[in-house]
Amino acid sequence: MFRLILKLAWKNAFLRLSRTLLVVIMIAVSMSMMLSIQGIYDGMTSNLIDKTKRSDCGEISLYNPHYRLNKNLDNVIKDAKTIEASLNKRPDVQAVVRRLSVDGLSATARKSAFSSVVGINLDEEIAFGRFDKFLVEGKLELGKRGVLIGKELAKTLKVHVGSKVIFSTQDSSGEINAMALKIRGIMQTSNVVLDRSALYVERRHLERFLGVSDTVATQIAIRTAYPTLQATLQKAYPQLSVMDFLELNPMLKQMQDMMSIFNSITFFIVILVVFIGILGVMYVSVLDRIREFGIMRAVGMEYKYIRREVLLEALFVGVVGYVVGAVLGLLSLVYLHHYGLNLSQFSEGLAAFGLDTVLYADISPIYFINTFLAILSASLFSVLLPLRKIKHLNPIEVIKAET
Amino acid sequence: MIQLTEVQKYFYRGESREVHALKNINLTIEEGEFSLLNGPSGCGKTTLLNAIGALDSVDSGKIYLDEKEITTLSEDERTLLRLNEMGFVFQSYNLVPVLSVEENIGFIMKLRGFDDNEIKNRVKEVAELLEIQDKLQSLPNTLSGGQQQRVAVARAVASKPKIILADEPTANLDSKNSIALMNMMRRLNEEEGVTILFASHDEYVIESVRRIIRLNDGSIVED
Repeated sequence: MFRLILKLAWKNAFLRLSRTLLVVIMIAVSMSMMLSIQGIYDGMTSNLIDKTKRSDCGEISLYNPHYRLNKNLDNVIKDAKTIEASLNKRPDVQAVVRRLSVDGLSATARKSAFSSVVGINLDEEIAFGRFDKFLVEGKLELGKRGVLIGKELAKTLKVHVGSKVIFSTQDSSGEINAMALKIRGIMQTSNVVLDRSALYVERRHLERFLGVSDTVATQIAIRTAYPTLQATLQKAYPQLSVMDFLELNPMLKQMQDMMSIFNSITFFIVILVVFIGILGVMYVSVLDRIREFGIMRAVGMEYKYIRREVLLEALFVGVVGYVVGAVLGLLSLVYLHHYGLNLSQFSEGLAAFGLDTVLYADISPIYFINTFLAILSASLFSVLLPLRKIKHLNPIEVIKAET
Repeated sequence: MIQLTEVQKYFYRGESREVHALKNINLTIEEGEFSLLNGPSGCGKTTLLNAIGALDSVDSGKIYLDEKEITTLSEDERTLLRLNEMGFVFQSYNLVPVLSVEENIGFIMKLRGFDDNEIKNRVKEVAELLEIQDKLQSLPNTLSGGQQQRVAVARAVASKPKIILADEPTANLDSKNSIALMNMMRRLNEEEGVTILFASHDEYVIESVRRIIRLNDGSIVED
């Protein structure tokens, strides 16, 4: 019996090719566009998160619990060197960096701006987050007086590679001190805060300038693939604040949530369009074949078998549409993953949000699983109304109307 | 075999009874009969045929098939009754357009759960009897009216129902095809022992049947 129903569903779908193609194309196009949009949205978020992790906090950062409220040199991690060494031995830690940061004023002869000097070790930073990839101008070198400057800060101060900048701040003894720095390179991390305020200098020179020991740091950042590491470290270092990147960047969390909402809305709209499309086509198709269903009922075919036939037909069209849409969507996602979507004409606006001008798409199997379930549901729900029409069909009326 | 007592049927428009289509019909049709419901257009032939075939309900009276009352059956029970006990030949063939001739003939057998070999053999046998064996792989819309009507007859008889109800089976056929169809129907009645009841005012049908039940204005006026 199932074979007969399957045959009827298949033949109806195949013999009414233009109608089937119409629905398949509609599903495929909507789905591939939805997959691309989903990939781009997620790609934007993950790109932003990735750059924030690489340039700043890693997956987890350790601070003196008072430091984030009061960023002065009294609130440093005193045994940071020992902690760093111990973290480096852990198998669940991929990379660690220790940074010393202090806020102050950077100035040229004509301009000044609030900024933060971050004392780093270049080799450690490259291993930690491919720091070298953020260099957009000049050379990646520091030396005694060298400094790498955030792109937006360079714009504010109107400086370029080779310019000199004076940075003034309070040292560990409370005295205001200044150091003259020569710009070696300009960095663009797409982390808005860093690009607007950071000056990167050699950590040991900053330690000496501030008059602090080489064992201290304001931040220890960690790269890890283990989400449980945060809790483990909090237990191991109860005297420190152990925070993950989303706690440290609530804006990212908001953006992640917002993108998730955008994705859900897009997903809902596309599935609604698919649902209405299949509903319309299936309804017209059922009306078109109402006589056929009337004949089947008249000669003794039970409603349940007709229901199965219509469901199978909708399912068949939905699955073919899904497969074509998945292939198109995958091709589109692969292209956008490798070559990106170039939005350089909106570069100013995108930069304000820390976004690149070329947006690269993420590819996740979840997109395809969710879409499959949604298309499947849309296909099945879309035949409820046509089925209702068939259920209340009086075969005599249908046959009489045609004779 | 088929018994109707005091059967009445009205057609409605809104709440009011518009047409009294069947008036106190009392009728018995025995097994193996080759009979005709005859009368002018609108006399109630098709309505009576549909009521006997459990395709349509009646407003009062009772219809029995082998002593089983069919007027009280639910829609699903009537569908199963039609499937298992009856075969239908309609005026406009009413074949399933997406199925081949072979699949159309075997359709009811398939619904009744016959096995594939049995269906194949029976389809071949009936197709040969109705001289459509060379059209088995064709789709209905590629056949002439006469051929389509023979396929409809083949579908009706293939599953060996107790009764075949044929509503104006020759209406769309020319005289040659009408005579051929009636000869085939008679052979089926004689060779397969199927009870056949026609509703028609076609002279070829009138000449072929053994019993004529005349209706006028919803009543039996002559039997």
